Amino acid sequence: MNSDDPDGDLVRRVGEGDPQAVEALVARKLPRMTALAQRLLGDRAEAEDVVQELFLRVWKSAAAWRPGAARFDTWMHRVAYNLCTDRLRKRREVALPETWDAPDPQPLVDSEISARQQSDAVGRALADLAPRQREAIVLTYYQELPNREAAALMGIGVDALESLLARGRRALKARLEECHE
Amino acid sequence: MSERMDFARFEALVAAYGATPSRWPEEERAAAQAFARTDPRAEAVLKEADTIDDLLFAHRVAEPSRTLRAMVLESAPRRRRIVGRVRLWWSSIAFGIAAAGGVLAGSAAMAALEPVTANVQLYQHDDLTTFEDTSEENAQ
Repeated sequence: MNSDDPDGDLVRRVGEGDPQAVEALVARKLPRMTALAQRLLGDRAEAEDVVQELFLRVWKSAAAWRPGAARFDTWMHRVAYNLCTDRLRKRREVALPETWDAPDPQPLVDSEISARQQSDAVGRALADLAPRQREAIVLTYYQELPNREAAALMGIGVDALESLLARGRRALKARLEECHE
Repeated sequence: MSERMDFARFEALVAAYGATPSRWPEEERAAAQAFARTDPRAEAVLKEADTIDDLLFAHRVAEPSRTLRAMVLESAPRRRRIVGRVRLWWSSIAFGIAAAGGVLAGSAAMAALEPVTANVQLYQHDDLTTFEDTSEENAQ
């Protein structure tokens, strides 16, 4: 058993067909992976499709999973990230409807913003970011991956990751300030 | 052992990772924290980053629905289905022989099915056919 991988033993039991291990793995990973997919794609229905596909691959791979250099969470992130970027690539090839994830031009007054409205505003600003900036922010901030892991997933170096993070954060702030003016 | 950090690196690190030290790269965290404690320019940098951190963390994603959870669980392969198929196979044999050999043979066959993995031999005796559990004879 790989003591460095907190999911290693659970995955081994999933591979052996242990139904309790299956439930435990879903409880542990489903919220995290749903959040990742939704923030990358900006669309709940698509995110749920990705997550279902992701878990199909988990079930196929669990029996053959061997503890090694990569942690299982890292592997899941890689598969989810690739599934999401494939969908994002297909979106760019297809003309999107004008109303797709359109930002709300209605200005918001700080004192009247509810937590839900603020969350929605940030969600829209995230969706408006350049894709690579959004990916960098989602992987490091929301998924809390170490910078080397996030950079490796994106196929870039840490310096490039930090540049995307800094630009993404500035762009997000600027976008939200525009909405408040 | 961490090296001393200069302002340019501190500013770049906070601009990328935000104001929370636990989010800074592990190998630079101690140096960045020391810089933040000792350099008066650090406060303004951290304050700016903090406002962006607050914005980011305001974004919430709804928990997965029960439907999604159920669908994901349903898609998982189940070990018990294999055992069910073995029992079904034995059941088919038993019922087939019961139909050919009469009710008594069928009852004996059903009794011999528990446990599923019991060693059995098929005997042909005049007009009766029966299962006999030979697990004691063949015990290893």
